[in-house]
Formats: sequence, structure tokens, C-alpha cells
Amino acid sequence: MELTRRKVLQLGLAAGAGMALGGCKLLQLGLNIKGYWPGMLEGHLLRGNTQLPAPSVERKVGVAILGGGAAGLFAAWKLVRGGRKDVLLVDGPEFGGNCAAGALGGLAHPRGAHYLPLPSLESRHVRELLADMGVIERDAFTAKPYFDERVLVHAPEERLWVDGRWQEGLLPRTGMDADELKQQQRFLDFVAGLRDKTGSDGRRVFAIPLVLSSTDPQWRALDQLSFAQWLKREGYTAPGLLWYLDYACRDDYGAGSAQTSAWAGLHYFASRGGHAANAEEGAILTWPDGINPLVRHLAAALQPAQRLAGMAVQVTDAGKAVHVDVLNVLSRKVTRLIADQVICAMPLHVAAHVVSDLAGLGFDLHRHGLPHAAWQVSNFLIDAFPQEPVEHPLAWDNVVYGSNSLGYVNSTHQLIRQYKPESSVFTAYHAFANEDPRAVRARLEHASAEALYEVAAQDLQRVYGWRWRQHVQQVEITVRGHAMSTPAPGFLGNPGLAALRALDGRIRFAHADLSGLSVFEEASWWGNQAAEALL
Amino acid sequence: MRDRLLILSVFIVASCGLAYELIAGALASYLLGDSVLQFSSIIGTYLFAMGLGSHCSKYVKEERALATFIDVELLVGLIGGLSALFLFLVFAWANAPFRTVLYALVVICGALVGMEIPLVMRVLNQRKTAFADIVSRVLTFDYMGALAVSLLFPLVLAPKLGLARTALLFGICNVGVALWTARVFRRELVNPVHFYLRGGIVLMLLGGSFVAADRLTAWSEKAIYGDEIIHAETTHYQRLVLTKWQDDLRLYINGNLQFSSRDEYRYHEALVHPVLEKQPWTRKVLILGGGDGLALREVLRYPQIESVTLVDLDPAMTTLFSTSAPLVALNKGALKDKRAHVVNEDAGQWLEKDNGVFDAIIIDFPDPSNFALGKLYSVPMFRLVNRHLAQNGLMVVQSTSPMHAPRSYWSINKTLEEAGFVTTPYHAYVPSFGEWGFIIGAKQAGYTPPTAYRLPMKFLDTESTRQMFFFPPDMHKVDVEANRLNNQSLVHYFEQDWSRVLR
Ligand SMILES: Cc1cc2nc3c(=O)[nH]c(=O)nc-3n(C[C@H](O)[C@H](O)[C@H](O)COP(=O)(O)OP(=O)(O)OC[C@H]3O[C@@H](n4cnc5c(N)ncnc54)[C@H](O)[C@@H]3O)c2cc1C
Repeated sequence: MELTRRKVLQLGLAAGAGMALGGCKLLQLGLNIKGYWPGMLEGHLLRGNTQLPAPSVERKVGVAILGGGAAGLFAAWKLVRGGRKDVLLVDGPEFGGNCAAGALGGLAHPRGAHYLPLPSLESRHVRELLADMGVIERDAFTAKPYFDERVLVHAPEERLWVDGRWQEGLLPRTGMDADELKQQQRFLDFVAGLRDKTGSDGRRVFAIPLVLSSTDPQWRALDQLSFAQWLKREGYTAPGLLWYLDYACRDDYGAGSAQTSAWAGLHYFASRGGHAANAEEGAILTWPDGINPLVRHLAAALQPAQRLAGMAVQVTDAGKAVHVDVLNVLSRKVTRLIADQVICAMPLHVAAHVVSDLAGLGFDLHRHGLPHAAWQVSNFLIDAFPQEPVEHPLAWDNVVYGSNSLGYVNSTHQLIRQYKPESSVFTAYHAFANEDPRAVRARLEHASAEALYEVAAQDLQRVYGWRWRQHVQQVEITVRGHAMSTPAPGFLGNPGLAALRALDGRIRFAHADLSGLSVFEEASWWGNQAAEALL
Repeated sequence: MRDRLLILSVFIVASCGLAYELIAGALASYLLGDSVLQFSSIIGTYLFAMGLGSHCSKYVKEERALATFIDVELLVGLIGGLSALFLFLVFAWANAPFRTVLYALVVICGALVGMEIPLVMRVLNQRKTAFADIVSRVLTFDYMGALAVSLLFPLVLAPKLGLARTALLFGICNVGVALWTARVFRRELVNPVHFYLRGGIVLMLLGGSFVAADRLTAWSEKAIYGDEIIHAETTHYQRLVLTKWQDDLRLYINGNLQFSSRDEYRYHEALVHPVLEKQPWTRKVLILGGGDGLALREVLRYPQIESVTLVDLDPAMTTLFSTSAPLVALNKGALKDKRAHVVNEDAGQWLEKDNGVFDAIIIDFPDPSNFALGKLYSVPMFRLVNRHLAQNGLMVVQSTSPMHAPRSYWSINKTLEEAGFVTTPYHAYVPSFGEWGFIIGAKQAGYTPPTAYRLPMKFLDTESTRQMFFFPPDMHKVDVEANRLNNQSLVHYFEQDWSRVLR
């Protein structure tokens, strides 16, 4: 599908070198490696000055939702549940956005987000969704809901490769000295104490969704320095702990601890604290294809007629209604939507090119845009599992200590099987942190198969050595140049984001970008907010 | 001529050196399982020890080089030759230090073998052969010896002679080299007779062991499995070993006893009949696990039963039990019965895609000794089973021992309850296992144990049944968690319970 879309774009719309890169291409390295750059062509299209055809059809709608990611789909689901029928969703270039999924050899795998923490008490919207899906079986809004165990991550959840051996858990312990262990404990005790801390306004200091956190200036001051600076200030010097915290920032935010706000760094550890009646503290939810089933469930609320294929290329507030021009990339037809309300659920750097006078609404991309991290999600179809030590069997998440990559996840981990299945997909995650994002993006656009594979397989090769390659049948590498906004120091007080969150006119926004940090709970929260305002 | 002799001994010495390494690797993977890991760690250790040995060889004084070489040969012959036999005996009689003894032997053999070649080179060098020439000749023969053994070992020696005698044979070769060298260089040795004497003793020892090896290994295998092995097979999934002593047939899977033909009837009667006796209307039965066909044999005794589906992962297992004469005699040809349908598939996978409904379901899975097997005893798995059970049907699960593994047993009970079953726990004494536990699950309350049986039974009657459902104080229920997939407490319980029982 991507291939044909690319072909059409190449033939029909594009001229110029940029176009030949994107979409989907087959790369060779003796291995079947498929590269996939979602949204890249469409992005180039919006930024270039390509002449677009005039609208050939007009269509009146109540609410137009522009963007089929977690936020847009959540809004759609919520509106339909609330009884609204006059909803139309424009998917944009990629259904599911950062929650997208794919399949290799008949096995589903993630192309983006892979897990959801147990929802906090504040995340009522997420609980509502999980209950609707049957994932929460009972007591959805209590402190300890009862979950469907099939999606609670099964033991063993995670292991860390330290100096050629595995250990349980991700905090490095093997061979660490007493001072290191003491500092680790000090940090863990500190963040555990933060979980129930409230600010002067009575709100939790670190809540998820983030906007429900306390605005107490004493705590907000943490946003003025980087996490690395804060750690230094507090006397944390242990290398194992510092690596782990940098890993955590890269894993959640796509940026290292030196580029992450100290407030965000602590938020990761202090905001979650959801519980389940039938799982341990800190358990997470996952499916073979990551959290794609969440967006699929949301999308199932819509009738086919409530969806329109294509991408918004122009959004203009015309006073009595909003005009939205939607380009169908395949047919090259433009449909003009005359919408009473618009929920703009695309990333803000895209919206800046689509929505007329976004700066007039308070958000100026050049002044208010947050840095964007690039990510690479690499899926390996294997036809046999590599040998593992008996005392540390393959875990769901497998991370390498000291690596600047993020380890790999086994997509068939949740199967209930006596023996491992014949084949599986391992998904390796990599965030290009601690590098200039622009330089990374420029490099990734032209990256060769070898270069992508090198990044993709680095942790796997560290662990399994040359044997790794023997097991690999196919590789699919998803490159996300603008994967997510990163919460750099100062992000909490970003006035552009504050302005968009407060909009109450015909155009509203719903996207993880509004929070400044990218997780499903935040994205869906904004979808939920936008929908509730229209119900 | 003498140089040529030394070169020939290099060939033999190299062959022997590689042979001990292969034997140790093969033995470790045979006895400990996980062959890739065992093999590579043994070979790594061995090579490392060889490095140590060749390093040590430089401390041997120039004038002692020849004598030391002969001594080393004798020692290699003795230790390497007896290594396999010794390891068998250690494994049979003392399980715990086996690994330590194994690696100690590997290190000693490796170090000694590592000394050989440097010593030979020095001996040759003393005899003024051009050094570059020596090196290349020695190495050529070293590698040729290695090639010869690496082919001979798996193709001829191991299958024909067995590991113990192969090692002894190579030991004898080493001693031969020692004696021959001593004789040829007798004029350069201070006291050649000493060497002849020592060599003779070692040779006799090795020769004697070679003759007795068969009896010794049989005796040690008997000590491992108790009895003579009549079938051993490593399938895609597991290692199956069948032993026999008089009329007692035993099956071991990965070293764990599955049944003894002497008392398996107790286990299988207890597993099957408390359910089927109470359900005279049963037509369709599902058995999960139980590829030995013994539970199936009990089920098929009821004439009204129309079809039994047996799902067992390992085709090698069901094939063995439907073709081997003594086993077919034991399960009365159950696996070939017209009413039986054997499916070789992972039970979880089969349950997910099949949508048949059964009047009775009999679960005879392996014990929850690792995370993969633990998943078979989980709420989602039991719910899946529940979907295949008729409204008034009954299910029974083998549930480890309420006596030896009480927390595991009651954890399974709790897991079944959480999956929506009304449970009835019971237990039976099976001499080769000890007190063993089962749990019946029903969709509604009201199960009562049978008070009589329509079919003739060897173990079950009114009184033995009453006792099965009675839990004396030493088997009372303990308060434990259900087995949650998120942390698999059952696997931890199982490990802890049994480690308390076994020493
Ligand atoms: C590699 C990776 C791993 C992650 N892992 C996790 C995780 O494990 N857990 C977690 O909670 N979060 C994770 N996240 C973050 C999470 O995926 C995001 O926060 C969330 O999916 C964002 O959803 P969204 O709707 O805000 O935005 P997006 O996913 O960016 O969706 C935007 C949507 O807008 C559409 N669009 C774009 N342009 C247009 C246009 N012109 N017109 C119309 N539509 C348009 C796109 O097609 C897309 O569907 C991860 C992110 C990445 C990149």
C-alpha cells in the first residue's frame, strides 16, 4: 500500500530529488531489509510549494477530526460514544500515527508505541477505554482495577545485559559497588516519596495527565534545569544509576538526561503509580503489536462513512465555519469540508503549515516549537529463537547496559505456550538522542540499508554475537524523523502550548505535542478534552 | 628416525588431546542437557587450560624436557583415559559436585595436553632440527591428528565404543607414546626402568578398566536412572529415556520420572475416574498432555465414550507410545484406538483456535518448573479450558503434590477458582512419586466423590476414594496467591517447595 502511494506521489505530484527517498524502498544487504519512512513524503509535500488542485467536492460536517493518531481517534471514539454522529475523521498519512503496527511473516509487531503503564487514578479517560475494550474487567475506577491477564506483561518482564551476563531488572546491580547501590536506593526512595506529594495548591506534584500536576512554583522550578544538572546538584554520581536514568529519558522522551527537563525526568518516575488487583506494582499492558489494539478499538467506533482518506492541506477559519481542504493522495482530488468544529489532531509542526495563521492563535512554530526526537523502530522476523541461559530466559524487554540504544522486545512474549513458537518478531528501539535532531533527520533521509541495520541490530549483536544474523529472515525498519516533541528544560512554561490548550473556538487542538511529552495517556487526554468540550 | 618417531607421537598426542575435549563436551551435554552451552563452555575452558599448560611448560628445565614429556604423557593417559568413566560414576552417585569435578578434570587434562606440544618442540630443537621446520611439521601433525579424531569420534568411536571406552582407548595410546619414547631415548634418560614400570602400571589400570567399562557404565547409568535404559531419544522438545528392570518400565522426561509401570495405574485411575464415574453421559473427552496414552487407556474403558481428543505437543512421544511393543502393551494400544484423535500441537494454541465443547477435560501437563510451563497453570489458560467445557462437564488437573509442594498445589487451586471453577481438591499415594495431588473443576457447585465404581479398579474403591478426598492435618490448605502471569508466583513456589524437599 505504501508502495503504491509512493508511486502515485512520485508520478503525479512530485518533482525534485526529495521525493525519491520516501515511502518505502527495498534495501539489500544479503538480507531482506525494508525501510519505511511514514509521513515523510507528505511532509515534504506540505513544505514544498507544490501546486494543489482546486477542491472538486464540498461536504458539510459537524466535527472534522484531522489526524488518525491516538489523540484524534480518542476524540472520535468519545464523540461517537457521547451520541454525536456528525463526525468525520481524516486519517492523514498514517493510521495510528505513533501507535501504528505492521506484520512480518504473519506476526503482528509494533511500528511505534509498545506499552501502556497501569493507568493512574487521574487517567479516567484511559480507564474508560480499557473497560470498554474488556481489558479492565471490573472496578475500573477504583484504586485497583481487575485486568485481563493476557495483556498484563508476563514474567519475566525485563532483564539487563551487564558485562556479558544477564541480570533481572533494568537497574544495573551486577558487579556494582556499595556506593553505587546506596545511590540507587536513595534515588528510588526519593521518587517513591514524590508519588504522593502534593503542592501548595493541593494537587499532586507529578500527575499524569501532566496538566493536572501542581503549579506550585517550588516544584515547577525543576523545569528550569536539565535532569542531568539536577542529578549532579543532588550528588548523584554513580555511573550505573546515571546510565539508567539517561536510558529512561531516551526511552520515554527520545532525549538524553542532559536534554530533558529535570521536572520531566522526575515525572517519569513519580507520576505513574497505577495499580491492579491482579498484578504487581509497576506492571504494564502490552500486545504483540504494541498498543496498536487501543487505536484499532477506538477506530472501530466509526462507520466507514465517518472516515475520509487523505490529508488536510489547508485549514481556514471562515467565520461561520471552518474550511478544511483534504487532499486524497491517490486520486489527487481535493475535498473541501465545511465544518462547524475542527479538532486538529496532527503534530504541531505539520499544523503550522496547514492551519492558516497558527501564530495568530498563539503558537509560533519558530518561537514555541519544541525540539523533535528522531526514532528508529526495527522489526526482525526470526525463524528460531537464539539460545538463552536457563536461569535468565528471554524476557519481554531486553536491554544492554551501557548501550546508547534501547534494547529489544519479543512480540510473542504474551503467548500462552508450552514451548516457544517457531518464529517471532524482535523489535529493537532506538532514539537518536544526544545528537542534533536536524543533523540526524538529514542523515536518516538518505540512510543506506547498512547504516540503518547497524543502528537496528547493535544491541542484538552485542548479546548474541555473530549468531544473531543466522536467525533473521526479514527486517522492517520504520524511521520516524519527527517522532515526538521532547520536554527540554522550560517546556512547562511554553506560552505557545498554553495558548493552544486554552483555545475554545471552532478550531481546537488535540495531540501529545500539547503536553510537550509524548505518551499515550497525554495524547488521548487531549482527544478526550476536545471531545468533551463538544458534547 | 627418532625425530620421525617424535613427530608421529605428536600426531597421536594431538588426537588424544582433542578426544578428551570432545568426550568431556559430549558427556556434559548428554548428562546436563543444553548442548550448545555445555559444549562451548567446555571447549573454552579446555583451550584456556591448554594455554596455561603451554605457559607452564617454559618452567621445565632444558635437561628435564624429555623426561617431563614422558611423565606428562603418562599422566594424560591416566587422567584423560579414566575421565569419562569417573565422571559417569560421579554423576551417578553424587549429583551436586558433578559440574565442579567436570571442570576440574577439563582444566587438568587441558593443562597437561597444553604442555605436550611445547615440550616436543623443545626435545626436537635440542636434537638440532631446523626450528622453522620443526614448527611446521609439528603443527601439521597436530592439526592432522585433530582432523582424524574429529571425524572418528562421532562416526565410529562414540557410537561403537561409548564415551567411557573411547576415553580409555585414547589413554592407552598416550601411555603407548610414553613407553615408546622412553624406549627409543633410553640412553638419554637417567633411569629408563622407572618409566617402564610406571607406564606398565598405568597401562594395566587402563586396560583393566577398558574390559570392565561396560559393566561400570551400565552400573552407573543404572544408578542415574536406577535401571537399564531401553530407549533414549532427544526430540525437538525434550529428552525421553525409557528404563526397564524386570517388569518395571519407567519413563523419564528431561531426567524427571513420568511414570513407573508398577504403580502408574494408581495415578491414572485417580486422575480419570473420579470425573468419569460421576458423568455416565460423557461422550466427548479432551486430554491435554498425556502423550503416553495411559490416561487415554482409562478413558477408553467406558464404552459409551464416542471420541477422545488428545493434544500433546511432541509427536515423538505419541509415536513412541503407539509403536513400541512394551509401551503399546502398557497403554493397551490406546493411541491407535478408533475413538482416539491425537493432535500434536501446543495446547494453548490448539485451545485458542478449536471451538469444540467437551463433557470431560483431563489435564496432565508437566509440572510448572519454568515460566513457559507456568503459563499453562494461569487464569487465562484455565478460562480458555472453561470455554471448552460443557455446562455440566467436569475438568481435572494434575496439580503437583499437596504434601511436598503444598504452596504450588494450593496456588493452582486458587488460580482455578479465580478462573471461575468450583474446585474439589484430592490426592492419592503413588509410591514412585509420593503423595500426589489433583483438582477437579466444575462450572457449578455440587460435585461429590464417587462411592462406588461401575468398572473394576485396581486402586479405587469406596474407602480409598474417601481417603483421597480427605485432607489430614499435614496436608491442610495453605494461604497462597493465585498464579498471575505478571509474576508467576507458582513457578517460584514450585522451585522453593522442591528445593526444600530435595536436601
Ligand atoms: C517509537 C515510539 C515508541 C513509543 N512508545 C510509547 C509507549 O511505549 N507508550 C506510550 O504511552 N507512548 C509511546 N510513544 C508515544 C506515543 O506513541 C504517542 O504519544 C502517541 O501515539 C501520540 O499520538 P498523537 O495522536 O498525539 O500523535 P501522532 O501519533 O503523531 O498522530 C498524528 C496523526 O496525524 C495524522 N496527520 C499528520 N498530518 C496530517 C494532515 N496533514 N492531515 C491529517 N492528518 C494528519 C497522522 O497520520 C497521524 O495519524 C512512543 C512513540 C514512539 C515514536
